[in-house]
Amino acid sequence: MNFLAASIESLGAKVTGWFTVGYGMFAFLVQALLLLLDRTTWNRATFDVVVKQVYFTAVQILHVFLGYTLVISWLIITIILSTARDFGLTEFASEMTIRVLVLELLPFLTALFIALRSGSAINTEVALMQVNNELDALAHCKVPPMQFEFLPRLIGGVVSVVTLAGLAGLLALLMGYLAIYGINTAGFEPYTQTIAKIFDFKIVAGLIVKCALFGLAVTLIPVTAGLETPKKLFMVPVSVLRGMMRVFFAIVAIEVVSLALKYI
Amino acid sequence: MNKLHFKVGLFAVAALLLAGIFMVYLLHARGFFEKTYHLQLAAASADGVAPGVPIVFSGIEIGRVTTLGLNDSGGIIIHAEFFERNAKWLKENSTFTLDKPIVGGAKIRVDSPDLNAPALPDNATMLLLSSDISKEIPALVERVKVILDNVEHLTRKDGEINAALANVKTVTGRMTGEYGMLESLLGSPEKARAVTDSLDKTRALITKLDSLAAKTDQWLFAQDGVAEQTRASLVQVQRMLNDAPSSLKKADTLMTNAVEISADVKEGTQDIAALRAEIDDAVRKANALVNEINKKWPFARDPEVKLP
Repeated sequence: MNFLAASIESLGAKVTGWFTVGYGMFAFLVQALLLLLDRTTWNRATFDVVVKQVYFTAVQILHVFLGYTLVISWLIITIILSTARDFGLTEFASEMTIRVLVLELLPFLTALFIALRSGSAINTEVALMQVNNELDALAHCKVPPMQFEFLPRLIGGVVSVVTLAGLAGLLALLMGYLAIYGINTAGFEPYTQTIAKIFDFKIVAGLIVKCALFGLAVTLIPVTAGLETPKKLFMVPVSVLRGMMRVFFAIVAIEVVSLALKYI
Repeated sequence: MNKLHFKVGLFAVAALLLAGIFMVYLLHARGFFEKTYHLQLAAASADGVAPGVPIVFSGIEIGRVTTLGLNDSGGIIIHAEFFERNAKWLKENSTFTLDKPIVGGAKIRVDSPDLNAPALPDNATMLLLSSDISKEIPALVERVKVILDNVEHLTRKDGEINAALANVKTVTGRMTGEYGMLESLLGSPEKARAVTDSLDKTRALITKLDSLAAKTDQWLFAQDGVAEQTRASLVQVQRMLNDAPSSLKKADTLMTNAVEISADVKEGTQDIAALRAEIDDAVRKANALVNEINKKWPFARDPEVKLP
């Protein structure tokens, strides 16, 4: 009886913990959005930090990211094309390629890329600031951390993921065209027809919203995870670990929900 | 100049430019800058047709079904949309066929036999034909089953096909023998040999006949041949005929003389026997002459000259 009560209690603690984390994130997001609407937020200093964040998150890794996109797109396109040819379904190959790569795989991989590179860095940084009381010091010096530390990171993350996923998608479209029709303009009309068929308004809007949510997930979750860190140095790795696990689950959840909305 | 800001600016400009170009391209692809053509298709059944079903011309998609509906008389009306650039393939004599392949989705196929025909106007109504393969499959399977039964019956053990094949084998086996096809036709080498022998004999016979004909020719028509001799005989006969009247005249004279003599018989009875012999001689000569003529030429059936 005792055992059962204990398990129920631990389950309750976990659920409460999830809700606390979820609520913390939601409250943080609302705070950030409210700040975004505030006219005083839009000053030169904040803009400079946003530019810096975009630079570190997107521009600095652009060549690596595009190379990685090129390789993965080429591989997947080749696999889809050869499989489609084997089964005599070549007419569906271009649509399949675009749907798999541009709509699903590349945004997902972009989010993972940014999460591993920038999300983990943000998490560590915020956790260290929290442990070292830097955030309190900043607030004391009339430099609100939300405006100059956290909001620029969120904006940078969203802008970076949306832009990088878009660039990767365009590259994949180009690669797909070259793989299916070769270097000539003969296939332009049918390819355009396929693109027109796939990208209706709902799909494009859904893609942008999905990428924005990915960008938010890979920055918002590390920031809140860092802020939760108890003021002990050895808790920093634990905070990063937790934060990254949450980021991963959030990305998968967003992908699953988007697929469900699209196809079910 | 801030290098970091420049890079981010470049990135932003490039990304915005690409996004803008892609948006314009997408709007073009979706026919935003073009007039949209509408078409109504009247069909007996909307089975398999749904909004989004492609309309293809020569395998290329040129339009899509937008909505389905019923008209006042219960018929199906399918609304389809085309971009202006694709509407040129629709002609007044175009046919629209609903294709439902076994694999893949349904599609409406457009066939325009004459591309010089007048273009189909906007909002036209056409008839949608149906070529449903899946409906024909059960009938097809039934027929194939019957065919397969027949084949099975034909190819059973000790069946006709087997027997025929065995016969063919025998015949072709004989063909490989000394007398080839002939042996296969006649059944055994002996019979085949008989045929070839008779053929050889016939050949020899023909050679002989040939030489015989040449000889006959020689005999009949050469110098001193039969024909020549016959002509000479005829000349002789003519001459003999010419002689005949004179001989007869002589006989007449003799007869006159005989009458006179008989008148004078009393006075010349001693000469009567000689006279009688002379007359007989003349008659015999005449008879011989007639016989000879008859021999040469078949004139009369009664050649005998009779004395009174």
